[in-house]
Amino acid sequence: MTPMPLIRLTFDAGTLLLESGSVAQGVAGDSQSTSLNSQILARWFGQGIWVWDPRVSKWRTDAYHYADLHQAITLLNLPIKDTIRAAKFSDEKEQVADRIHESSANSLPSLRPEQIQAIQQWEKTGRGIIVMPTGTGKTEVALAILARRIASHNTKISGTPDALGDPNSSSYRSLIVAPVRDLMYQWHRRILRGLKIDAGILGDTHRQIRPVTVTTYASACIHATELGNAFDLLIFDECHHLTGPIRADAARCSVAPSRLGLTATLPEQTDALVQWIGPVQYELKMEQVRGSTLADYEVVRIPIELNPQERARYKNLSQQISKYVYERRKTDPEFAWKDLCAEASKGSEASRIMRLRREKDAIEDRAEEKLRILEDLFRLHLGESMVIFTGSNAMARAVSLRFLIPCLLSHCGKHERLDYIEGLRDGIYPAIVANQVLDEGVDLPEVKVAIVLGGKGSIRQAKQRLGRILRKRGNRRAILYEVVATETKEVNRSRKRRNNDAYEGTRHRQFRKRTDPS
Amino acid sequence: MLTKELAIVSFENGQIHPDRLVRNKHKIYVELASKMCDVYRQGIGKMRKNLHYDIHRILEEDPQCPARRIGAFCKLLDEWSDFDMGKPKQTAELRQRVFRQAASFHPLVQQAESILEHSEQSVKDRIALSENCTWLDLQEKLFSDIIEHQRLAKFHMPEEPTDLLARYNVAQTQAVLMDATDVTVDALSDWKAILRYAKLAQLMHRIEPLEHGYRITLDGPASVLRHTHRYGIQMAKFFPGLLACKSWKLTARISPKHVALANQAPWAKKRTWQLNLDDSCGLQSRAAPPQYTDSQLEADLIENWRVMLLIESAPEHSQWRLIREGDLLVRGQRVFFPDFTVITPNQERILLEIVGFWTPEYLRHKQEVLQAFSHAPLLLAIPQSLKKQWERHSFSPNHKVLFFSQQLSPGEIIAAIEEIGP
Repeated sequence: MTPMPLIRLTFDAGTLLLESGSVAQGVAGDSQSTSLNSQILARWFGQGIWVWDPRVSKWRTDAYHYADLHQAITLLNLPIKDTIRAAKFSDEKEQVADRIHESSANSLPSLRPEQIQAIQQWEKTGRGIIVMPTGTGKTEVALAILARRIASHNTKISGTPDALGDPNSSSYRSLIVAPVRDLMYQWHRRILRGLKIDAGILGDTHRQIRPVTVTTYASACIHATELGNAFDLLIFDECHHLTGPIRADAARCSVAPSRLGLTATLPEQTDALVQWIGPVQYELKMEQVRGSTLADYEVVRIPIELNPQERARYKNLSQQISKYVYERRKTDPEFAWKDLCAEASKGSEASRIMRLRREKDAIEDRAEEKLRILEDLFRLHLGESMVIFTGSNAMARAVSLRFLIPCLLSHCGKHERLDYIEGLRDGIYPAIVANQVLDEGVDLPEVKVAIVLGGKGSIRQAKQRLGRILRKRGNRRAILYEVVATETKEVNRSRKRRNNDAYEGTRHRQFRKRTDPS
Repeated sequence: MLTKELAIVSFENGQIHPDRLVRNKHKIYVELASKMCDVYRQGIGKMRKNLHYDIHRILEEDPQCPARRIGAFCKLLDEWSDFDMGKPKQTAELRQRVFRQAASFHPLVQQAESILEHSEQSVKDRIALSENCTWLDLQEKLFSDIIEHQRLAKFHMPEEPTDLLARYNVAQTQAVLMDATDVTVDALSDWKAILRYAKLAQLMHRIEPLEHGYRITLDGPASVLRHTHRYGIQMAKFFPGLLACKSWKLTARISPKHVALANQAPWAKKRTWQLNLDDSCGLQSRAAPPQYTDSQLEADLIENWRVMLLIESAPEHSQWRLIREGDLLVRGQRVFFPDFTVITPNQERILLEIVGFWTPEYLRHKQEVLQAFSHAPLLLAIPQSLKKQWERHSFSPNHKVLFFSQQLSPGEIIAAIEEIGP
């Protein structure tokens, strides 16, 4: 058998290309050499993986198939030359050699049994999702996995890059994808502190690609096609964000054989996540850790009333809207909210009704009484750090201006955010207020009191907000107050939120009405 | 460009129609556009949110104006503007000072009591004093760096207020193209410019000859694997360039995921729609129109050929035609546009490429191109003075060479072609 020229496998903008070429008998199972065709490719790699691209006269497939392809190439000893690796890191040699040496003495905390179990489960295949409630140390799990990979790379530092295809290999080049900039920076700090690695940052105007790099879903998606062959391990923090056909490109366009998803709130539909990351490898339930790993907590619901002007306006708006809907239903009994939205886009009366509806939302979101209740809660928890969640940026700023407490909004720069979060921890600031910035992942270990002044009806948001105050510290009990305007739609949203295991046993409290000192 | 959330579309007989303001139906917008431009022209120093509020008020004059059209005009006017970013660093520092100072008085209560003796207003006045201003001023400054509070610094006034309407119409079409899975352009001319704009937008092409001209299909690497919106933004970026070209027809396949949601038409997501446009669609962009000659040598040849036909100096040549970049050669993702196509009296098409300069970079590039297209029959015109250098380099037997002295004359070209024979 004469040796056949190798067929090159290359990476192209988030896809893989296989050159056309001729293959020898041995591998194709034919007696003569024959040109690469779909039958041969199906025999090697399975049906429907490769598609002929006449624009470049090559076979093409999605990059995420790489782990399987690599395995087939190795197992069947196929005449394919794998050249997907590009030298992405100019400073890699020095960077890694130095860091890795230092990091052998990493300063990670020792792990709890459930964390060790999670790591062991995941490492069996190097692909999949770990579900753990907020505050139970997901980040530590990821850092430990990273540290183990680096350590193993350190022992095999002379190893060949061919080990890439093996999920349990020592390849450690990792891209950590976080939902928002704050969390991206938080990961950067945690990696620096725990592993002594100054990770690259991609996003928020930074563009440093290093063997360990942190980024956001948005940036990962935008740069997916260029970065697809740069990493061996993808870590998706809060991996329920990896949804939708475009966002999924962050996973689809990558050759990384190892993938780790972390979440506290696994969505009901997991098909896509399983395809892009892998199956759920480990799941820790809230009730397993409540009071032990997590702080014990109570949820207190405080109903408030709109003031007379607000109530009058609210009622008036509601009437106008109902009247419109009633009139419309006379001719169209099926008429629903979404039809109103559709009509509003074409202008006219419907658009006016939409404006009324927005005004109505604003009244319940920014009811004056909420600020009064907040004052009472501040008095009640004097000397305790608090975090306040609002339903809108405008309300967050209103709270900030009323009480002169820091307001964490998306426009805040990196340093300002850090100042607020650390200032809250160190007792410089008594409280901070945020709309959605704080919903996920930002650590607030010292805070045991949270107040929700408004927000969505989503269980996910509720769980996440609750999670901010559940990191255990001593035996202090955490309290989440939910301030809800009665006689408004907020009541329904609150009911929806409470429909989950975390909110079980919510206490309904009529908050003491403060008598006017006058 | 607009975000997909601001797209306004209608669906009809398999076609998707982007919102379009037209003279007869939307006459009022000529006046509104001028008012809107005035708001920004006279609005230097105003906050973004106030400018947007004024735009809202103006567009309310059209009771049929949908909210997303208002949002779109705000966005487009903002794109023509420079905003003062405020002083983000100083403002952040001011906030930190204020919040730190206030922390020791927390909580600021409405009415002071025995233990909580810090009333909201007294603390605020005290802090304002330490910043040398009143609380009202301080309140104003405290969040002056957020986007809505940024102040207009400069407005790049369009030549005519109606340019705003032209831009709006193009922007709405681009917003639909963001949901496109592929774009097909049938071009009778200007294909070089079209492909150049496609390349700038990082799109891949497939090129098929039509009876007159070419069909150019544009999409991206992963498009052979699945229908994807991934390249929609690139298609939207490509579109203004196409508008600068002549004689084209565009068909885009739209899977209106985002646009459908924004238009409250989820049913429209279930199928693919077509966007059809051609060069008479009336949309205009400010993209540069195609250049028609690269060098004086080429311009001279075109002129000499015209003169030859005009004064009938050589009546036997009256049947010969010269077309600038009349054909293209395709090899995968590479396209080569020989400078001219000469059409013989027998309707044969001879491709003519002029090798004009002899800088090392130019030579390397030319040779590389000719190497890649060595299979294609070509007539190369090379100055006599470069004969020696040229002959030192190997060239394809498919490429015939015509060495010319000072100027390239039509007669020499015709003679060379007749010499090659059929």
